[in-house]
Amino acid sequence: MRILSSNFFALLLVGVFAVPALSLFLMALDAETEIWAHLSSTVFPVYLRNSLLLLVGVGAGTLMLGVVSGFLTALFEFPGRRWLEWMLMLPMAMPAYILAMVYLELLEYSGTLQSALRDFFSWKTPADYWFPEIASIGGAVLMLSLVLYPYVYLLSRNAFQQQSPVFTEAGRLLGDRTRYGLWKIALPMARPAVAVGVSLALMEALADFGTVQLFSVPTFTTGIYHIWFGTANAPAAAQLSLSLLGFVGLLIALERFSRRQQRFHGKASSLRRSERRPLPNRYVPLAQFFCLLPVFLGFFLPGWMLLHWSWQSFSSWNAGRFISDASNSLLLAGITSLLALAVAMLLNFGIRLPNRKMLKGASRLASLGYAFPGPVIALGVLMPLSWFDQHFNQWLNAEGQTGTYWLSGTIFVLIYAYLIRFLALAQGSVESGMASITPQIEDSGRMLGSPQGKVLRDLYLPMLRGSLWTGGLLVFVDVMKELPATLMLQPFNTSTLATRAFAYASEEMLKEAAPWCLAIVMTGLLPVIMLNRKLRSSAIPVDTSHRLMPVPPESQLQPA
Amino acid sequence: MMTKTDPPLIECTGLGKSYETIEAVSELGFELEESESASILGPSGCGKSTLLRLIAGLDVPDRGCVSLYGKEISTPQRMLPPEKRRFGMVFQDFALFPHMSVGANIAYGVRGSKAEKKKRVGELLDLISMPHLAGQMPHQLSGGEQQRVAVARSLAPRPRLILLDEPFSNLDYQLRVQLRRDIRDILRQQGVASLLVTHDQNEAITFSERMLLMNRGRLVQNGKPSEIYRYPKTLWAARFVGEANQLKVHHVEGNSQTPLGILHFAKISSDAAASMMIRPEEIHLQPPEKGFPGGSIVSIEFAGPVQNLVVRLDSGEDLRVATSPKRIWTEGESVSVVPEHFQCYDDSGERLDDEADLTPPT
Repeated sequence: MRILSSNFFALLLVGVFAVPALSLFLMALDAETEIWAHLSSTVFPVYLRNSLLLLVGVGAGTLMLGVVSGFLTALFEFPGRRWLEWMLMLPMAMPAYILAMVYLELLEYSGTLQSALRDFFSWKTPADYWFPEIASIGGAVLMLSLVLYPYVYLLSRNAFQQQSPVFTEAGRLLGDRTRYGLWKIALPMARPAVAVGVSLALMEALADFGTVQLFSVPTFTTGIYHIWFGTANAPAAAQLSLSLLGFVGLLIALERFSRRQQRFHGKASSLRRSERRPLPNRYVPLAQFFCLLPVFLGFFLPGWMLLHWSWQSFSSWNAGRFISDASNSLLLAGITSLLALAVAMLLNFGIRLPNRKMLKGASRLASLGYAFPGPVIALGVLMPLSWFDQHFNQWLNAEGQTGTYWLSGTIFVLIYAYLIRFLALAQGSVESGMASITPQIEDSGRMLGSPQGKVLRDLYLPMLRGSLWTGGLLVFVDVMKELPATLMLQPFNTSTLATRAFAYASEEMLKEAAPWCLAIVMTGLLPVIMLNRKLRSSAIPVDTSHRLMPVPPESQLQPA
Repeated sequence: MMTKTDPPLIECTGLGKSYETIEAVSELGFELEESESASILGPSGCGKSTLLRLIAGLDVPDRGCVSLYGKEISTPQRMLPPEKRRFGMVFQDFALFPHMSVGANIAYGVRGSKAEKKKRVGELLDLISMPHLAGQMPHQLSGGEQQRVAVARSLAPRPRLILLDEPFSNLDYQLRVQLRRDIRDILRQQGVASLLVTHDQNEAITFSERMLLMNRGRLVQNGKPSEIYRYPKTLWAARFVGEANQLKVHHVEGNSQTPLGILHFAKISSDAAASMMIRPEEIHLQPPEKGFPGGSIVSIEFAGPVQNLVVRLDSGEDLRVATSPKRIWTEGESVSVVPEHFQCYDDSGERLDDEADLTPPT
C-alpha cells in the first residue's frame, strides 16, 4: 500500500503506457518526406479504400444481423426463441481469422464445395462456371460481420427489452398505425445502444489482421506488418500506424458522441418491461431462419468443419507440437491475466485514496490501450525495447561482453504488448466490482481493528472474487486469440496456438490447422457461457410495476 | 468515579481540516468524558462528519490534535491508525459486510478463541433482541435490523467510544424513533461513550446528555440540550434548534422598545440589544386586557398535543405561538400577549449575557 501513497506508481504507469505511443510519434516524425510521398502515391490510397469499404460493409452487415435478431428475440415470442437467444452469442467465440480459414478451405477453387460442384456438373476449368471469390473484400466483410454482429445483437436486444411498452402504446394512442411503432419509436429509442454496438464492431474490424491477410485484402494492419517484416522500415510503419490510429480515434469520438444520448434509453428501464408478444404464425419460419442463419454460418458450420478436419487429420496430428504451442499460449495468457489483474487492483485501490488525481488520469490513459490495433501496439513496444537492447549491448560490447536481445527477443515484449492492449478488460471488471463496495466497508473494517492488509484479504478480495474471475478470463481468452502482435513479437522458434494455426493456413495446410483452431474456439466459448449466465440471472423478470401504479392490475394479484 | 484531574476520554484542541479551499473544520475544541454521550448537530455540510472521521483516525487533521486520555492520537504529523484506537463506528448505510452472515459480521472485530467469539456474538444478538438471526445474510434483513446488527458489530470488541454517523437517516420515521430509543438504551446499559452525528435536532436532543452545535466548521455552542434550547448562544442557534420568533429592538429617546414592551437590563446598557428571541411555547395568550400588548389570531393549525397559532400584533408583526389545545381559540379573536421567557441578542447575533425585564408599552 505504501507504493500507492506516492505518485511514483502513477508516473511509472504513465511511463509504461505512454512509451509505446510516444515512440510511434517520434519514429513517424523521423520519416523522410520521400517515404511519406512514396506511401501516399502507392499503397496508402489502396489501404484507405479497403479500410473504408470494410467499415461500410461491416457496419451494414452487423447492423442488419444484429438489430433484426435483437429486435425479434427481445420483443416477440416464437418457437425456439429461448434457444436462439443464447445461440446468437456463439459466434463471439470464433476469431475472424479462424472463420476465414474455414471458409477459404471450403469455398476456394480447390476447396471442398467447388471440387464437389465440378465433379457433379463435370466442369473442367474456372471458365466453365461462375463462383464468387471468397478471398475478396466482400468475403472479408462477410467473415467480420458474422463474428462481430453479436456486439450489436447484445446491445440492441438489451435496449429493446428495456423499452417500456408505454412508449409504443402511447404511440398507438397518438395514431401510429404501424403495429409496433418500429420506425417511429422502437428503433429511434434503441439507436444509441445500436450505435455503441456498431462502433465496437467497427473498431474490431479495423484492428483485424488475420482475415484480410488470408484474403489478400491490403489494409493498414497488413501494411504495417509487411513494411515491418519486408523492409524493416520503422518510420514508414509508424506513419501507417498513426494513420490507422486516426481512424480509430474517429470511431471512438463517434461512439462517445452516441453514448452521450444514451440517457433516454436507460431511463425506460425503470418503467414497465415489455412483455413478448406472440409472433404471428406466418412470420415464424422467417424469424427462425433469420436468427439461425448467422449462428449457423458463424458458428455451427465452421465448428463442425473444424471437428471434422481434426478427426480426419488425427493420424497425422503432431501432438508434441500442439502441446508445446498450447502451453506457450496458456503460459502467456496466464501471466498476462494475472499481471493485468494485479495492475487493475493497484489502480483501483489507489484511486480510492484521497488526492490521487494523477493516478486517476493514469488509469484513464491505461485503459485507452484497448483502442490500439495489435500491429500498432507491437510496433510501439518493439521500437523502444530494441533501442534499449541495442544500447545496452553496445555498452556490454565496450565492456568486452556479448549482447543478446534482452527484452525485444523474449516473451517479455509479448506480455508487455498484451498488457497494454488488454488491461482495459481487467480494469473495467475490477472497477465495476469496486463500485459495489462503498468506502464505508473499508472504514468499518479499519474501525473493527483490521489493518489495511487484513481489510484487503478479508473484505475486498472475497467481495471482488466474481469480478476478478471475469476480468481474468476476458484477458486470458483475448490473449489466446490474439494474432498480429504475437506474430510480430514472438521469440524465434516459439509459437502459440494462434500463430501456428495461422502459419499452417498461410501454407494452405488449412486442415492441419484444425486442432489448433478448435482449441482456440473452445477457450473462446468460456466467456460466452459466462456472459450468458450473467444475462440469464439479470433477465429474471423483476416486476416493479406494482410500485409505480397506485392500484395493481388484477393480473398481478394472482400468484405466478 | 473519575476525579477532575484525570484527562478526559477524548479531547480535541484547535482541530482544523480543509478540503481544497473549503474549511470543513476549524479551530474546534471540546472534551468528552468516559461513558458520556454527546451529539454533534449541524446543518448538512457543516463539517460534523469530518469531525467524526478526524476522531476516528480515518482522516488526518491539518491543524490541532485529538487526544485520548491525554495522549495525542491524531495530529498532522502522527496518527494512531484507526484499527488501534478501539473505537466503534456505525454508518448511515450500515456498511455490513455483504459476504458474511450476521454472526460473522459481529464476530469480525472480536479477538480471541472461537468459543469466546461465539459467546460474544450470542451476547450481542441477545442485546439487540435478534437471537435467532445469526445465520442470516445481511441482504435478508430489513433496514432496521441491519442497523441493529451494525451497532452490535461495533460494540462487539468492547470499544471505548462509539461513533455514529447519521445512523438513522436511512430509515422510515416510525422505525427511526423506535431504533433511536433502543440504541440509546443499549449504549447506556453498556456504559460506552458515544458521539452521534446528526442534522436532526430531535435526534440530537433526545439521544444524548450533551450537544455540540456546529455551523460552517466551527463549534457554536456546547452544552446540555435543554440549556442550548433555552439559552441559545446565537440567533442562528436559536433558529436551528427549535422554532424562534425574532423581534427587532428600536432605540427611541433612550428607550429600547420592542413590539412586546420596553427592555430593561440589570447589568448592561440596553443600547446593546438589537433583537429579542422568543420561543412559540413561551408566549402566553389571554383574553384582551389593558396594559398588555394586544393582537389578533390570524391562523390556527391544530396538531394534536399543541395548537400552532399565528398572532398578528397591533404593531404589525406576526408571532408564532404554540399553546395547549385545552383552550380552543378561533380565528380573528383578539388576545393579549404575555411573554414568559425570552433572550436578547446584539447586532452580530450574539446573546447578551444578562436577564432583561419587559415593561408593557403604555
